Amino acid sequence: MAGLVRRLLYRGFCVPAGPPSTRQLREVEEAAPVFQYAGKAAKRKDRVFVWGFSYSGALGIPSFVKPDAGWKKPRRIQPTPYRLETEDKISSAACGYGFTLLASNTRDITKLWGMGLNKDSQLGFQRSRRDQTKGYEYVLEPSPIPLPLEKPQQTRVLQVSCGRAHSLVLTDSEGVFTMGNNSYGQCGRKVVEDEIYSGSHLIHQLKEFDSRVVQVVCGQDHSLFRTKKGSVYACGWGADGQTGLGHYNITSVPTKLHGDIAGVNIIQVSSYGDCCLAVSDEGDVFGWGNSEYLQLASVTETTQVNVPRHLPFKIGKVKEAACGGTGNAVLTEEGNVFVWGYGILGKGPNLIETAEPEMIPPSLFGWSDFSPDTRVAHVRCGLSQFAALTNRGELFVWGKNLRGCLGTGRMEDQYFPWRVTVPGEVVDVACGVDHMEGSLQSSATEWMGGTMPSQT
Amino acid sequence: MGWRSSHETWGTLEKQTGLGGITRSHTGACLGSFTPSVSQLPAPELNEAPERAPRQQVRFLPTPAPGGGGAVELVAASVPVLADHPLVRGPRFRKLKIGAGHRLDVKASGVFVLGIGHGNKLLTDLYNCHLTKVYTVGGLFGKATDDFSDTGNLVEKTTFDHITREKLERILAVIQGTNQKALLMYSNIDMKTQEAYELAVKGLIRPMGKSPPIITAIRCLQFALPEFQLEIHCLHETQQYLRKVVHEIGLELKSSAVCTQVRRTRDGVFTVDDALPRTQWNLQSIQEAIRNCQLKVEAELEKTLAHEENSPLHQLDGTQLSMLCRSVHEQSLQHNTAAMCQQCDGQQKERG
Repeated sequence: MAGLVRRLLYRGFCVPAGPPSTRQLREVEEAAPVFQYAGKAAKRKDRVFVWGFSYSGALGIPSFVKPDAGWKKPRRIQPTPYRLETEDKISSAACGYGFTLLASNTRDITKLWGMGLNKDSQLGFQRSRRDQTKGYEYVLEPSPIPLPLEKPQQTRVLQVSCGRAHSLVLTDSEGVFTMGNNSYGQCGRKVVEDEIYSGSHLIHQLKEFDSRVVQVVCGQDHSLFRTKKGSVYACGWGADGQTGLGHYNITSVPTKLHGDIAGVNIIQVSSYGDCCLAVSDEGDVFGWGNSEYLQLASVTETTQVNVPRHLPFKIGKVKEAACGGTGNAVLTEEGNVFVWGYGILGKGPNLIETAEPEMIPPSLFGWSDFSPDTRVAHVRCGLSQFAALTNRGELFVWGKNLRGCLGTGRMEDQYFPWRVTVPGEVVDVACGVDHMEGSLQSSATEWMGGTMPSQT
Repeated sequence: MGWRSSHETWGTLEKQTGLGGITRSHTGACLGSFTPSVSQLPAPELNEAPERAPRQQVRFLPTPAPGGGGAVELVAASVPVLADHPLVRGPRFRKLKIGAGHRLDVKASGVFVLGIGHGNKLLTDLYNCHLTKVYTVGGLFGKATDDFSDTGNLVEKTTFDHITREKLERILAVIQGTNQKALLMYSNIDMKTQEAYELAVKGLIRPMGKSPPIITAIRCLQFALPEFQLEIHCLHETQQYLRKVVHEIGLELKSSAVCTQVRRTRDGVFTVDDALPRTQWNLQSIQEAIRNCQLKVEAELEKTLAHEENSPLHQLDGTQLSMLCRSVHEQSLQHNTAAMCQQCDGQQKERG
């Protein structure tokens, strides 16, 4: 047998197979079929992610609280971002104290969804299926909130904001709607003694401002309204001076603020606890409210400031401000973040409190000689944590990690900015007390047929 | 005898020429075939250099007594030792001890660090510094092969027209994010300390022990469909891992990619500018290169190993550490035999 092969080789009747030549390889390559995995539709899908404490229902995933399968266990804390399925594209979101509001700027009838704590009807009236006369106290998944709109198929919801037990909804043509607790007049209507807020159908509408309202902000028990003309209105609890109206009483009708912001064109207002910050178009910062944590100590020794005061910081032109429970952060035009106040401020465990703003080194947000264009685009504040969004779509968080609200995957507090791993670019983030919500943009192509092919 | 002579070869090699230290070369060859060729390179040149004079010994030689009449007297005389004679001993330098730094495989090219003589000890210390390496990785969309490079067997061809630079950069950002987590985990730093904050600001959070490959930074340098080029900063990697990363990038973009080029542009403190190309693999260039990099190596070792608690070098103080690196200089300066090669003499005078 072997002899036969050898004789055939000798005579040249068969050629032993050697390594393939370049030409053979090229021919094989050109003959190979080409696979297409990318679909044609190049629309970007927007997604909502939530993380933090789930038992209040604020994350909107019912299976975390009441597992729908026998093997599933209740999940008290979601430590990393988890995708929330929504039918519509969410344009604005806000996190309150144990509840969340999601809004879409569609013209459809259903524009607003809420989930979480509803003991003060901060999510409107959610009719219970078991007892048609009562409402749910905890809403476990995003449920529509019916607004008493005159033109429900034309008006759009622009922005939402949530406080401790009340919420504000801003529309483009029908003013501001308020719902929830009104014991301090934070909903902008007269305080009714012994009013029962649970299961209430009342949603109040506010229209009397000097011009159209363009931003609504909820503090803990007060509300701030910013109008197109650059003036600020406030109502609600004022014992810390957070209404900025010159007294320490409650206000039940939105009233215009004066003080150092009289005549100033304010372009942004922020509040979450009992302190408030406002930014003017020229880059100046104004503050009022609680100053027990040195938030306003740069201008005054008093712990309550009830009139807006200009904060003379020499840090450059300020673009955005974020006010938390005990700490504040501002973002300058150059993209630097400055922090001051009390608590975990973001410069390591040694910096606990400061009255003057201190800059967080940009290298912590991904800036390096290697990528010098990275800068922070937005800052947000929760009650005891901070979040920063960079222009590359990355999310950095720091502060107290209350019940996993930072989303880093660990349960320890974070003393300097740390990146949260999210699949996609973060467009906006909303911070609450013990949970957070983020809106993401995903990649632009979809898998063909909706399923991923098997990979080698 | 044989052992002694080779030992002497060592000492004299360094004393005469100052050739003990770290050098690096620019190569495309693999380690196994590379080391013998490099180790024999300086030997002929060193052998050509004039040698030191042979040792002298005192011997009592019989000479005829001045008195005459056949009496023999022993007279002390200093004669050269025959064992030192070049015809007896052979060439002084046959091979040099060369150690290699981080591996570079056959298909890759770039900076390759070598240690000569006493420099091999520094190689271990540099390895323990865990410095990042920078690679330029070239890729090609549209093909998938079995060994992730363009010379492998073709597995599949795919479309790639939908890929844009923006999408590629998004994938790179995701890669960087997942690697950052791994970086933190293997760095064993307590995130609650002020020290962790300061290290993070300087960008010094690095794993100082064994860890899987970690990419600290990745970005796209060039993008021209179907080709693209990435710059990758990484730790504890192999070149095949980088090729696999290119393959995975292709998969994430719903296409496929192969790696066409892996080139190391920086290994710790050594960059392409310090490296010697093939044309400059001679004695003088090697000596010059060693001298130029001495300070850099020293500075890096001091900076990084000062953070380490467990390294034995930590017990040495700063002066002792620099002495370790400068011992070569001093030994060569102490050598005071008249017959030193003129080259070395001139170079020493330059050093001062």
